[in-house]
Amino acid sequence: MYQARMMRKVELVVPETDVIAVTEALAASGAFHLATSEFMGDESVLNADGKWHTWVTTFASLERRIMAIIEALETDVGDPPELAHLIEPEVAQRDIEHLEQEIQTPLHELETAQRRLTQLERYLTQLEPLRDLDIDLGTLRKLRYTYAMLGMIPAANVERLRASLEHIPFALTTLRHDDHLAAVALFGLQRDAQILDRAARSAYLNPLTPPETYRGTPAAAITAMQAGIERTRQHIAEGKSALAHLQELHIRRVRHLLWRVRASRRLVETILQYGRLRYTYLISGWTPVSKVDLLKQQLGGASQNISIEVTAPKWETAPHSAEGAAESEEIPVVMENPPLIRAFQGLITTYGCPRYGELDPASIVALTFPLIFGIMFGDVGHGILLGLAGLFLAHQKRIRALRSFANMGVIVALCGLSATVFGFLYGSVFGFEDVLEPLLLRPLEDIMDILLLSVGMGVALLNVGMIYNMINNALAKHWGRVLFDRNGLAGIVFYWSLLGIAANMFIADFPISIVALEVTTFLSGAVVTFATLLERLLEGKRPLVEDWGTYLMEAFFELFETVIGLLSNTLSYVRMGAFAVAHGALSLVVFIIANIVSPGHSLSYWLVVILGNLFVIGFEGMIVGIQTLRLEYYEFFGKFFAGGGRRYHPLSLIPGQQRKP
Amino acid sequence: MSVIAYAQIQATTRALYSQMLSPGVWTTLIQAPDLDAVLGELSKTVYGAYLQLDRRLLTPRRIVYQGKRYLADRYTKLMRLAPEAAANLIRLLWRSYEVDNLKAILRGIETGATWEQILFLLSPIPAHAALALADLEMMVQSGAVIRAIERLKNTDYYDTLSHALERYQREQNLFPLEVALDLAYYRELWQCIQALPPRDRDYALRTVGVSLMADNLLWALRYRIYHKLSGEEIINYTLALNPRITDADIRAIAGGEQPGEVIARIFPEVASQVPGDLVAGTQGLRQLELILQRYVVKLCRGVFVGDPFQIGIPLAYLQLMEHEIRDLTTLIEAKASQLPPSVFTAQLELYVPFERQDSVGASRTLE
Repeated sequence: MYQARMMRKVELVVPETDVIAVTEALAASGAFHLATSEFMGDESVLNADGKWHTWVTTFASLERRIMAIIEALETDVGDPPELAHLIEPEVAQRDIEHLEQEIQTPLHELETAQRRLTQLERYLTQLEPLRDLDIDLGTLRKLRYTYAMLGMIPAANVERLRASLEHIPFALTTLRHDDHLAAVALFGLQRDAQILDRAARSAYLNPLTPPETYRGTPAAAITAMQAGIERTRQHIAEGKSALAHLQELHIRRVRHLLWRVRASRRLVETILQYGRLRYTYLISGWTPVSKVDLLKQQLGGASQNISIEVTAPKWETAPHSAEGAAESEEIPVVMENPPLIRAFQGLITTYGCPRYGELDPASIVALTFPLIFGIMFGDVGHGILLGLAGLFLAHQKRIRALRSFANMGVIVALCGLSATVFGFLYGSVFGFEDVLEPLLLRPLEDIMDILLLSVGMGVALLNVGMIYNMINNALAKHWGRVLFDRNGLAGIVFYWSLLGIAANMFIADFPISIVALEVTTFLSGAVVTFATLLERLLEGKRPLVEDWGTYLMEAFFELFETVIGLLSNTLSYVRMGAFAVAHGALSLVVFIIANIVSPGHSLSYWLVVILGNLFVIGFEGMIVGIQTLRLEYYEFFGKFFAGGGRRYHPLSLIPGQQRKP
Repeated sequence: MSVIAYAQIQATTRALYSQMLSPGVWTTLIQAPDLDAVLGELSKTVYGAYLQLDRRLLTPRRIVYQGKRYLADRYTKLMRLAPEAAANLIRLLWRSYEVDNLKAILRGIETGATWEQILFLLSPIPAHAALALADLEMMVQSGAVIRAIERLKNTDYYDTLSHALERYQREQNLFPLEVALDLAYYRELWQCIQALPPRDRDYALRTVGVSLMADNLLWALRYRIYHKLSGEEIINYTLALNPRITDADIRAIAGGEQPGEVIARIFPEVASQVPGDLVAGTQGLRQLELILQRYVVKLCRGVFVGDPFQIGIPLAYLQLMEHEIRDLTTLIEAKASQLPPSVFTAQLELYVPFERQDSVGASRTLE
């Protein structure tokens, strides 16, 4: 829980004939994190990878075709399977062609019916303004001296059409105007028919030409069209039913095919990352120590001719050698925590992934984050509501979009719990401070006390950070840093000495004499100043210093920076107390406004109180969350967290699949 | 108010303007022996970061695409810094590439091209684009123009294209779809310029507006010379950009009046350069296009002098960058085809090399 799992480097030499089976076995084991091969092979061999490149492109294209089928069947891709095996591109292609043929006809018929419906509805819209006209549509089709055209035109084109016909006699009337289109009637002389046709066509005036079957007056044509629309809708319903039947028949097969094609593509993309010799592939990666035997077993089943080499990382034997340090950035890290603490892993990895060998700070953050939040947000009622909201987020499964927020729900629930506890300590319930007696203090009344308490908490947390730093350096066998670093033992002594001097100024009869404190400050400060030199002395590195002038100048400024840093980090925690006071003050404002709205405490008073409390929970909750994050990331993590690690992602051929380490 | 609104963007634009390719770089590029030498020179410029690809991938088409990515990033940068009305206009200016992408997609579908063949013909697609790459890919996968247009249902393009579809189905030709897209886009652009505050509108008209008028005029000429369309059709296929270009001017071109006389009325500044044989063949029209584009370049450079706190500076910079990309495209294609400089330098819009003796002048970028 406190440290990442031990890993082993696995290097494989795989004959060409077994590379697919081996890759499938690596993915099936769920225990292999693929690393970039240090040896990729020479160019002539790499260029022979043409087959794999072709397969990647082919699988990508096949995947798109299957997605088009899924879209036509109006369904989704379904849940990913646990495992999927390679499918030959030709086989997949045959299957897809067969499916495409089966759905093509009903799909085409449905599309035709839908277009026909759109067209009929458009005719109907165009004819509606003419409903009351007592004229036979057939007559309009056979005019001898007059040219007439009814139709729809983009509204923006009407004036251009008018301008283009200025040189001939014409009449252009807008019958109806929607957002984008206008129904117009264009009249002119038959002798100008060609000019009128050209102008109308170039202005995108689509003539209303209902089929000859629609005869009689506009009213009669409208009735016939409405019947036609009903029939078309029935055809569409039948078409959809046919497609739904096809969906039922083929959906499992289509989804299975899709996942196989996706897995095949991933498999081929994975193979392209391997190193390559003429007849063999070189695969390199990492696996947890506990899974080495399982991996060997899986690989043995996949290939008789595979060569497997498992080695411990150099970091374990020489952690602060150049090689070991460089390698520690490459070794993937398995963060393994119990469920409640696992929720905080996301907060850690947002900042950075712990490096291999570093302590996993998730467990300490799981304690400190809710604690800091609770101090700033102490209120029983607010805490309970927040806790309930967090529980809902953590456990709800119905709303798909919220499923990914489950971890945040756990964090919110714990913060709510902490806020409830501090609510009892502060004696505050939904901003009412006359309902409960505080078990500790009231922030609004004991401002200095809460601020001092916050600083005290900050000192404690900073020391925890420094201790973590010492442990990390001890794990890396960097004894010099454990002892002399500004966040090591010397740094802690220096910090406490400075605190002691400060306390001496304000506390009468402070038990430690000022002289003793000054001596420890001086000595520990000197050690911190010359930390680099002392580390090199302890570790036997020579020369101790390359340029004394530069070193002394840098050392002095680093000491100055250390002092400023300690001061600012410590004082930064004052914000915890400040926000606790602000929380109380905001609640007070809500009551002031409620009293202004309704001095007699009627329904509107309570409405304001409720809405005000919801606002405080939402708005201030968000701000306090951000401040807590800031204190964790900058003040706390700054003491010990190097990061730069790499998250463990076991190879999987199923996109989006997450395996448990 | 304009000082606050335009302070940062004008400073940023001037810095970007200073990074445009210098005459010295252009001379080196023109005299480069082959495409590899051109790439070597370009990698030392602001385009260098965009050309960090395997050499085998850098085909002429891909090099141009990468150059357009640089342009797309400049658009995005200036959009973020501009006040709201100006940002809308800049966003709309970029949309011309989106319209071109749509046209390329429709042509690709019509000719049965695959997505991989079409992909690098497209202009880059930044985050603010209305159509993402996946949308365009699904259009190609639909396999038919009608189905492809259905996929645009929730976009601004759907109404225009779905209405023009009827003509496409009658004529079995992409021309009505492409013209409909262009007209709708340029109409919106003109309206956006007209909706700007008066001072910004004035500067926008000086840069983007003139370019738009030049394009409108060239469309009218092309429709008359190449497509032999009637007057009514030419009017409907062009825009009324009053007061500079009126329907009377368009009708005059359509009606057979000497184009040179019409152009002299609209663009008196370049009247003397207009070739006499505009209607005789294709060369005259191309020459006119170059003259008008170089005129626009001159206007854009002029905007950098004078009041700095106005919309003209970012608009002018973006216009100049488009010319630079076009000139780079010409140069890259010429080098790939091993054409000598004497053949292609005459086609450059932004840079005029020393050897050319023409009315524009000696070796310099147009001022």
